[in-house]
Amino acid sequence: MSVEVRNITKTFGSFTALNNVSLNVESGELIALLGPSGSGKTTLLRIIAGLEFADPGTAQVLFHGEDVTNLPASQRRAGFAFQHYALFRHLTVFENIAFGLRVRPRATRPSEESIRERVTELLKLIQLDPLANRFPSQLSGGQRQRVALARALAVEPKVLLLDEPFGALDAKVRKQLRRWLRKLHDDIHITSIFVTHDQEEALEVADRVVVMNEGGIVQIGPPHEVYDRPANAFVFNFLGNVNLFQGRMDDGLMKIGDTELHVAENLGTSVSDATVYFRPHDVKVSTEPVGQESIAALIRHINLAGPVVRIDLERADTGSRFEVELNREQWQGIDRRVGDRVFVDLQRVRVFPTDHKTPLEDFSI
Amino acid sequence: MSAPHSLIATERLGGHRRPTTEPPWVRRLLIGVALAFLAIFLWVPLAAVFAQAFAKGARAYFDSFNDPVTFAAVKLTLIAAGIAVPLNLVFGVAAAWAISKFNFPGKSLLITLIDLPFSVSPVIAGLIYVLLFGAQGLLGPWLIDHDIRIIFAVPGIVLATTFVTFPFVARELIPLMQAQGRSEEEAALSLGASGWQTFWRVTVPNIKWGLLYGIILCNARAMGEFGAVSVVSGHIRGETNTIPLHIEILYSENVVAAFAVATLLTLLALVTLCLKTWVEWRAAAESQTAEAE
Repeated sequence: MSVEVRNITKTFGSFTALNNVSLNVESGELIALLGPSGSGKTTLLRIIAGLEFADPGTAQVLFHGEDVTNLPASQRRAGFAFQHYALFRHLTVFENIAFGLRVRPRATRPSEESIRERVTELLKLIQLDPLANRFPSQLSGGQRQRVALARALAVEPKVLLLDEPFGALDAKVRKQLRRWLRKLHDDIHITSIFVTHDQEEALEVADRVVVMNEGGIVQIGPPHEVYDRPANAFVFNFLGNVNLFQGRMDDGLMKIGDTELHVAENLGTSVSDATVYFRPHDVKVSTEPVGQESIAALIRHINLAGPVVRIDLERADTGSRFEVELNREQWQGIDRRVGDRVFVDLQRVRVFPTDHKTPLEDFSI
Repeated sequence: MSAPHSLIATERLGGHRRPTTEPPWVRRLLIGVALAFLAIFLWVPLAAVFAQAFAKGARAYFDSFNDPVTFAAVKLTLIAAGIAVPLNLVFGVAAAWAISKFNFPGKSLLITLIDLPFSVSPVIAGLIYVLLFGAQGLLGPWLIDHDIRIIFAVPGIVLATTFVTFPFVARELIPLMQAQGRSEEEAALSLGASGWQTFWRVTVPNIKWGLLYGIILCNARAMGEFGAVSVVSGHIRGETNTIPLHIEILYSENVVAAFAVATLLTLLALVTLCLKTWVEWRAAAESQTAEAE
């Protein structure tokens, strides 16, 4: 079932959480709403669920073309998974999952037998059938979130909404569970929207990523597209580690310190105050200058732990610091010490006008 | 549960001094002061009530209850508490629900108003009703015309009791419900439950211990209230005297009977304390299993 929201604005007092947001989710899609805290992503999800209502006006929420804008949450049939699970603490795992079936009006309520059948089936799906009689407090975080998902799925929702579903879990469980979610979605194909501030999670799990910032949608696209072709500096910055050099763009020629870079895609544009963005791994490091565009830098710190070698560098001309990542083989070909001089060639860069309003923040976790 | 064990273990193992500990004589002095204070202000008076009540033997004690006026006082107290407690249960749950689950203009005013019966003297609480419903009061003439008696009658006593005991249930529930948040209710709604189902199946089970605690305290106060009830009662024997008012009258006539009736309230206090401890213990046990991972 498709989900569409149109012209959603939501204010809390003087704070604008959402500013005229529209979004269309195709039937069977798995969508990630990605953004920093305060970007409005959870508010948008709660408005779709009917747990929050948009400011009156032209706002519309459509489920499969049908207007549900004024329908309360209990009549929308939107399954919702909460960040902190919100399991009913006084009910067992079994009764938690059965809840949505038991509260149905007598006419549509399944028999005790079919409730039992359905819950057992879901317990198998989440691989927790031996724990049916435990209470939520006796489960681990990952188990609780799976119970919460089963509980939401029990009522056969038209759409599954997940609010930071793995946010409260430790890194390893989070990784397992998001693969499990992806697999689950591939099996049952329910239209799903999940909110996250973890770019890795969004890029790994979602069919399409909706990047949000300051109450608006900044970019929508498949994971590889938003990663490779970020719409602006914010998206580039938010989706991964980034270095930046400030300089001047003159008809595709970017002047940074003593170096001039040719940026083909910016031919014809001239900006007096521009910033070059590049990822730490999109570089080539050599012991001798390769050409005109090589940047001389001094090694300030070397971190050899982990699969990649991280090197802190200081530019010889401007003194600004940046970080590069090399794999171990590349590093073995260089093998220099702290204080030595190397030459860096930027392989892939993006140039955006310098944004003085929002200073660079480290969004990575 | 593990914290006390580990403390005992470290003390036993190395006799390790904790940074916050005091020399033995300071500890003994502090404990001694606390015990002496408790003895003078709580245990001796408690014992005195029973000593006085049984001063002329068990027979005199039990004879004290064989009095229709005493019987009427007990009955009136039960009626007043029997009406005030359920009313405050409903009001308290409604107020706590509104305050903790919704945002609305005037919310902080409502929270302040709930505390009013605690902050105002009980005598003033009683006077409010006299000024409102008394013969010279605001609504007095209208009530007299329609032959409705509130002041110096049972309705006045019920009103005053309800007013004084209003905050107990609400005060107990508001922090509890605020701490629990709205997400379980939201989950129930998103699963298709109606507001009524959500309340009975999710909210009530989550607040039951706090609710019981509030009811116990509310009942204890409702049965023991003196000041506000005294103002509106008129002290008509056998008609508008509750147990506390009756004790006061008896005290000037028959000391043994006064203390005998007083033992009823004292026993009520002891039962309340036991129930209160039991509820606290149960609630703690449940929240402990909830926190155990």
